Amino acid sequence: MRSERARHNKIIFSGTVGAGKSTAIAALSDIPPVSTEAVATDDTARVKKTTTVAMDYGVLNLPGGEKVMLYGTPGQERFSFMWDILSEGGIGLVLLINNANPDPLADLQGYLQAFRDFISGTAVAIGVTHMDRAEKPGLDAYRKKLAELGHQPPPAIFRVDARSRDDVAMLVKALLYTLNPGLIDA
Amino acid sequence: MSRHPTPPGQSLTALFLLHVGSMDARLIGLSVERHWKQSVRLASDLESARVVLVDCDRPGVDSAFEQLLAHPRTGVVCYAFHPRDHATRFPNRVILGKPLNLEALPGILASAAAEGARTIAVPPLRRPPAPATPPAVAAEAAAEPPPTLGHGVQTDDERDLCGIMEDLPPTPGQPLPDKLYFNPDDYLIGHLHRAVEQAASTGRSQLIAGLPRLIGVSSRPVPVCVTEFRANQLRPLSMTQLPQTAARIVGASSLAHITIHETTFATEDCLWNVAAWAARGRLPEGVDPYRPVRLRAWPNFTQVFMSPHALRIAALWVRTWASPVDIAARLGIPQRYVFSVYASARFAGLLERDAPATVTPPASRPAPPAATPPEPTAPPQRPSILSRILRKLLNAV
Ligand SMILES: Nc1nc2c(ncn2[C@@H]2O[C@H](COP(=O)(O)OP(=O)(O)O)[C@@H](O)[C@H]2O)c(=O)[nH]1
Ligand SMILES: [Mg+2]
Repeated sequence: MRSERARHNKIIFSGTVGAGKSTAIAALSDIPPVSTEAVATDDTARVKKTTTVAMDYGVLNLPGGEKVMLYGTPGQERFSFMWDILSEGGIGLVLLINNANPDPLADLQGYLQAFRDFISGTAVAIGVTHMDRAEKPGLDAYRKKLAELGHQPPPAIFRVDARSRDDVAMLVKALLYTLNPGLIDA
Repeated sequence: MSRHPTPPGQSLTALFLLHVGSMDARLIGLSVERHWKQSVRLASDLESARVVLVDCDRPGVDSAFEQLLAHPRTGVVCYAFHPRDHATRFPNRVILGKPLNLEALPGILASAAAEGARTIAVPPLRRPPAPATPPAVAAEAAAEPPPTLGHGVQTDDERDLCGIMEDLPPTPGQPLPDKLYFNPDDYLIGHLHRAVEQAASTGRSQLIAGLPRLIGVSSRPVPVCVTEFRANQLRPLSMTQLPQTAARIVGASSLAHITIHETTFATEDCLWNVAAWAARGRLPEGVDPYRPVRLRAWPNFTQVFMSPHALRIAALWVRTWASPVDIAARLGIPQRYVFSVYASARFAGLLERDAPATVTPPASRPAPPAATPPEPTAPPQRPSILSRILRKLLNAV
């Protein structure tokens, strides 16, 4: 049941608090991103003074006036009710996992589960962030986990620094090619 | 094993490195020390040299040649990224292509020295003596210019690093050309791959010694490759054929030996790059380009060298068992770009080669169902918006 809203072109960014969603959207967006930040009241406050409880919002302006929205989901589980609404009609999911979290592989599993229906109809590209601060687990551990979870063909998964526009753009390019490897890029 | 074109007993060729980058100088010095003891010695100045080596791509080459005016009897061997371009600039010079074929070089130096001694005039332009190496390498040295040996200047032509090889026929049957292949043991990748395997099997760190700088690999806690080479040095080194005995692998208790400006790479990323630079659009020896394989995972494209179309190749190859030739046909791209990805994926451990029997059609022409790349669930208007986004990202990055 797709509404008119579903016609919007949008790419969804999700992942745990502090993984780099707001940063990634800011790196890619053509407008200063709008971030509905609010003071976090639960224990995420220890991670960040403020965190995205509503969402981040950025835009890619395409030639001809067309827009692609970049939406960041709220990072906290208690806002996950919003994820379905937010992702409806989206082109695909960019999932950011903070490698410095206590159990990033469990984070991966949780987010893939939460977005299962969305991903099965679209595609996902995964960025492992903060690898400069935490080298373990390595990419191969993630790939193994993805295989265990039955993700075949394997989604793109790269080491990403959300502060790098090139890295974030690479994730989005991989997402697009996953949707259609035959895309012409010239 | 008569790999040396110069027979032992003949007098040593005194070589002066007149105009050569520091990295080339180290590699050549190393070759002299380890491999050419019977044929070449390094002279400390122009006066005592019988032959000199000149890198035409380095700035200041004209003044190097001016110095030579006073030494008409000294042989000259030049080398350049594009020998043909320099041939018009320096019509009477022997100009070799990069990478220098280190197996053949002593013979070429010796004959240039003899030539110089015989004539007062500058040696006439001629093809260097046929190198004593397999045809694949000889053909490459003559026809395929890309790499630089020794200085990190990247020219436009180097950017794609996939050579100029033409496509194979879409179906097997014809004999495969030698130049399709490279032997990993002739390049750094062979040594690096062995070191990585030994580190994994023994659990000990391994050092590759005997090169101008150290490279170490360790399998724990995560596989890393640590090196004193900078990235712009690692690439030319990876592209160069090394004397077979140049490098040796030794076990080490740690990688603490490596201290000078060390760079750390994930081992997989390092293998990917070093293999790509050796391959330059070729396949590792013995690979059947018509045999279906699959990528078991996407390479780490934010860190590794990307040949043209690498993202599309990966996107298709993680989901399909297909031969390199098929992948190129399905994407409508030159095969050499797929061969590049194949070579890297194989050494990085990202290639699955044993297709389940059920999905292994004896590789023939591109499988009809996937002839146009699959578009899983995207509604019809998607391709245009997807490629418009893609174009935006490519243009803006
Ligand atoms: N060191 C490091 N910091 C990062 C990386 N990616 C993002 N950050 C930083 O992590 C912090 C949290 O990022 P933010 O975008 O607010 O996370 P969000 O909660 O997912 O929106 C910011 O200070 C970013 O600059 C990374 O790969 N390495
Ligand atoms: Mg945020």
